[in-house]
Amino acid sequence: MEKLLSIDHVSMTFGGLKALDDISFDIHRGEIVGLIGPNGAGKTTLFNCLTQFYKEYEGTFTLYSDAPVDLGTLKVTDVIDHGLARTFQNIELIPDLSIIDNLLIGAHASTKDTFIEEVFKMKRATSEEARLRKKAEDVLAIIGLTAMKDFYVKGQPYGILKRVEIARTLMSDPTLIVLDEPAAGLNDQETDDLEEIIKIIQKEFNVTLLIIEHDMGFVMNVCDRVCAINFGKFIAIDTPAKIQANPAVQEAYLGRDDDA
Amino acid sequence: MKVFNTLDTVFNALGRFFKNVPYAGYGLFLLLLWLIPLFHSVDVISSGQLGIFAYIVVITVAALGLNILLGFSGLISLGTAGFVGAGALGVGVFLDLGLPFELAAIATLIVSTALGALIGLFSLKVEGIYLAIATLFVGEILRQIFTTVPIFGGQSIMIGSVTLFGFIELSTFSQSERRVLFAIIAALLVGMMILMQHIVKSKTGRALLAMSRSSSAAQAMGVSLLKYRLMAFSLATFFATFSGIMYALYNQSVPTTQWTLDLSLFVIAMVVVGGYKSIYGTFIGAFIIYGIPNLYLKDLFGDVSYIFSGLLIILVILFYQNGVAYLAVDIRLLYAKLKRRIHGGSHGKAPLD
Repeated sequence: MEKLLSIDHVSMTFGGLKALDDISFDIHRGEIVGLIGPNGAGKTTLFNCLTQFYKEYEGTFTLYSDAPVDLGTLKVTDVIDHGLARTFQNIELIPDLSIIDNLLIGAHASTKDTFIEEVFKMKRATSEEARLRKKAEDVLAIIGLTAMKDFYVKGQPYGILKRVEIARTLMSDPTLIVLDEPAAGLNDQETDDLEEIIKIIQKEFNVTLLIIEHDMGFVMNVCDRVCAINFGKFIAIDTPAKIQANPAVQEAYLGRDDDA
Repeated sequence: MKVFNTLDTVFNALGRFFKNVPYAGYGLFLLLLWLIPLFHSVDVISSGQLGIFAYIVVITVAALGLNILLGFSGLISLGTAGFVGAGALGVGVFLDLGLPFELAAIATLIVSTALGALIGLFSLKVEGIYLAIATLFVGEILRQIFTTVPIFGGQSIMIGSVTLFGFIELSTFSQSERRVLFAIIAALLVGMMILMQHIVKSKTGRALLAMSRSSSAAQAMGVSLLKYRLMAFSLATFFATFSGIMYALYNQSVPTTQWTLDLSLFVIAMVVVGGYKSIYGTFIGAFIIYGIPNLYLKDLFGDVSYIFSGLLIILVILFYQNGVAYLAVDIRLLYAKLKRRIHGGSHGKAPLD
């Protein structure tokens, strides 16, 4: 299998606390990988290092989108140009824009018109805008939100907002999407819908996904492989069933049974 | 209910028209503004009132710029007056150097906008109250420069009659030419409104909103905070300077002493009362904050503009944070509610013939 992302000996410390301790694993093109671990295991920290929100980590992230690139050499705003898009644990949408306009923000990096062309509504600006609107409508159709496209984000139910955030990542033609707890706060029906959506976008957009998630049912249903970490340390990466049966993973979640 | 059906048809038709012809609204607005000099020519509006309307038109442009900063980018500036003054006085200085009016205006815009972008660098370092303090002193420094540096003259800069495009000479001392000047600044205002509409409804407007509402999402989507904060300040300064140039064009004599913090605060009040992010709302805000006290209240109570706008801003912040621009939206919601109630009320009853 072709390697898409390799995480090499990544460590991160906050003050005296080792949030990530020498994490290494690879992600292959086209797979859906889950990242699990108890609260405070360092999952979101790993995401923030990967997407360059934190810069002071040790180790390297190499992305093999086109030519291999060391993400550490990029600015946080340039990561998306190399095909890496993300969502956030607490929804980060623009409340006073419509759903479709929120999607257009996701296309910011791939919009080619210049400021002057926008100000005078020159041909390239209007055609870019039309092209992106069409694309956003296509994405919304796949996600199943076409009917809501002109609604403001403010006041929409949590399940919808989570889907809008995922839809926004698709606007940049990503190769790797990292989702931070997409199922958190969703009810059972919404979680089932989300599983469907993730499988669909993986096929339709030919993307690779890395997903932080606490909902074990969701992880087992969706992910091809699962990586478990605890206290910033790598435990194992394997198929969902094998991870579930792994004693070290069980210990991380349930504690050690001293009597045994 | 027949009344509702007719009203619905009218509203829907109007809504469709303005949606299909996006510039119709602005065209209509310009025609309305052009009625003002027309009324002046038949003595319905006095010369003093024409001047007040002209000031509203001029200051709306500065308020639009501040709305980009405050409403869209979530940044504040208390230095607006300084840049309006820079526009008005700067054009006078360049005219003194012998440049034609258009070139003087362009030169002023370039110098002032570059200065504004420099101020934008503050915003990378500080936010909120500290940014307000920093820009406050920028405004004060500019004011001090205007009143003490010799090139700006002592009390005021005389511009005198302005020649546009090399052959149209217009003097504010002639009543009829003054009406033409009003028509020109009204057209400039509408032009700037359309410009702003284009900016905020595009990639730039969305990036500014993303930056202010969620800086992490903005960065993850490739929006550079450095670039767009500088952009926001440059745009606000550009609009403020443009407003100053319009002032110079209409009044043809620019005082050096009136570009104080008071004016900056009034411009903020216009944005807050008029409505964040609303283009027409900014004009309404300017009309309420400057127009109502000076056109109507002054004759009755004397100069109460500070008390009036002070009270208004407190009321708006306490009870109607969106600003008066959103009254239209709320009235529409109320109308829908009313319709539902009346329709619902008639349910189950025998139809009245």
